[in-house]
Amino acid sequence: MTGTPLTAAKSAAARPAGYGLARRGQASFLVHRRATAVALTLAVLTAAVSVLSLSVGETWVAPGDVVQVVLGQDNPNELVVGTLRLPRLVTGLLVGLAFGIAGALIQTVARNPLASPDIIGVSQGASALTVGAMTYGIGSYAVLPWLSVTGGLVAAALVYVFAWRGGLHAARFVLIGIGFAVALKSVTQLFLTKGDALMAQQAKVWLTGSLNGRGWDASRPLLWTLLIALPFLFWAARAQRTVSLDDDTATALGVRLQRTRLGLVLLGVVLASVATGAAGPVDFVALLAPQIARRLTRTAQIPLLSSALMGALIVTAADILARKLFAPTELPVGVLTAAIGAPYLMWLIVRSRTGGKA
Amino acid sequence: MTTIDTPASRLAARALTLAYDERVVVESLDVDIPDGKVTVVVGPNGCGKSTLLRALGRLLKPRGGSVLLDGRELAKLPTKQIARTVGLLPQSPTAPEAITVGDLVGRGRQPHQSWWQQWSEADEAAVTTAMAHTDITELAERPVDELSGGQRQRVWIAMALAQETDLLLLDEPTTYLDISHQVEVLDLIRQLAVPGERRPHGRTVVAVLHDLNQAARYADHLVAMKSGRIVAEGPPGKVVTPELMREVFGLDAVIVDDPVTGGPLVVPGRPWHAQ
Repeated sequence: MTGTPLTAAKSAAARPAGYGLARRGQASFLVHRRATAVALTLAVLTAAVSVLSLSVGETWVAPGDVVQVVLGQDNPNELVVGTLRLPRLVTGLLVGLAFGIAGALIQTVARNPLASPDIIGVSQGASALTVGAMTYGIGSYAVLPWLSVTGGLVAAALVYVFAWRGGLHAARFVLIGIGFAVALKSVTQLFLTKGDALMAQQAKVWLTGSLNGRGWDASRPLLWTLLIALPFLFWAARAQRTVSLDDDTATALGVRLQRTRLGLVLLGVVLASVATGAAGPVDFVALLAPQIARRLTRTAQIPLLSSALMGALIVTAADILARKLFAPTELPVGVLTAAIGAPYLMWLIVRSRTGGKA
Repeated sequence: MTTIDTPASRLAARALTLAYDERVVVESLDVDIPDGKVTVVVGPNGCGKSTLLRALGRLLKPRGGSVLLDGRELAKLPTKQIARTVGLLPQSPTAPEAITVGDLVGRGRQPHQSWWQQWSEADEAAVTTAMAHTDITELAERPVDELSGGQRQRVWIAMALAQETDLLLLDEPTTYLDISHQVEVLDLIRQLAVPGERRPHGRTVVAVLHDLNQAARYADHLVAMKSGRIVAEGPPGKVVTPELMREVFGLDAVIVDDPVTGGPLVVPGRPWHAQ
């Protein structure tokens, strides 16, 4: 096809297929075309579902009014939409974004779609400490996120240390993580049975992952965490390109593999833990969102932005269903994400056993 | 500490000891890799040849001694800087699912890029050249999973070439390939050492090979290892002898002239047993 190897500086053939190039002066950025289109579509869908989420409730508010309230214009529905429904929506969006990114990062490092924070013990660590505090009456929504982060980080650190054998072994990481998850889950159960019965009831609702009654104080720490994480995510997106290769090849390309992996895991664990603190362990979002996003973008690595948006979309859509399905009874959103997630998980496992790479 | 002499060649090892956990595989080994030549390391299974190659490419940290690159200790150089000088193709590299050939080859440019300079004209030129050189230009948009073993190996070599390093280490690059693809890959490796416009002295290539006859045919410099030591090294014509075959492989063999190249050709005789 091409016969001019040495002077083909402008030929598009050399640029990786599917990528566009954004150039400005000395700077140049590779942009995956399909991933960009997917991210834009997901953003539009999430915006639409968000408006719907603000419209739906005990009283229907027309989407036009919703948009007015969100844009800060005078509207008689200010109380219902702006004060009652908006904080819950924002918490849901942020939780979805955080879980989506966390799943993408941890799955990248482990090279395994099962390795999401809710499978490898991060959510369980966060839950154990939080439920412990709640059942002994030391939990307020302002403190819970910090307890969650501590629990999640400690659990992740233990898993990391136990999976370490002169280097991080992806398969060990997942297996030991699952072991820790089970152990920590029983610690949580212990707290629930031993602790104050009334508090335990409240903790149980939190444990299924619920956006019910979540206000600004639940979402604020998460918002800050996401903002602070943003510059690191640019680094992470680039690091994914080499970390998704095998260890030897990545090292030969000049990547400080162990340090890079640690950074990616840390970022994911912090995001997942803070999100857990805000809404409880909303099951399967971190597992599902990156896998669906990747199948949509068809990129060689898990797309961070699309995973984040997919997470937000899943949580907001599931929360609408959770509120309306058995209205006036509200289900915790985690029940719905689990109901969708579990069959998907089984499908993933069955498929990986029948040949296709997981 | 013993004083380290400055080696004449760019890549060398001094008093190198390599181990996995408790098991010492290579002990106190010295080697100089001749510049601009193809060096092939041979030896029986488990002799430490791949381990040595991994250490030369800093995939394995020395337990003792050092690997020297341009006279400086490899372990003390920034890994990204090493990656601009030394390329390495591991034994069984794995590609992420669904990655295209062009994307994979492009990732060889990693050490020349940064997060704000993700694709330059130099990157484009290097990838185009590497793909033309390995004859995979037509495959650019194909997913790597769909390729045949021979094509895939050429893609990996292209990725290592795109890295544009003066030194290239290859760990059994012909494994899993049928004979015609083996010859194809070895011919390609031979060409890499040929001086060109960009490299007036040619590339320095170090390869680990299983097949002794291929090694003898394609190497400028042959290194024979046994039990973590270098038993003999030099031009294949000098190194490949019946005595060496007995010592290194425990094999009785007749060495004849290769009818095509005139070099040594090993013909195994009856199995040799120690008395």
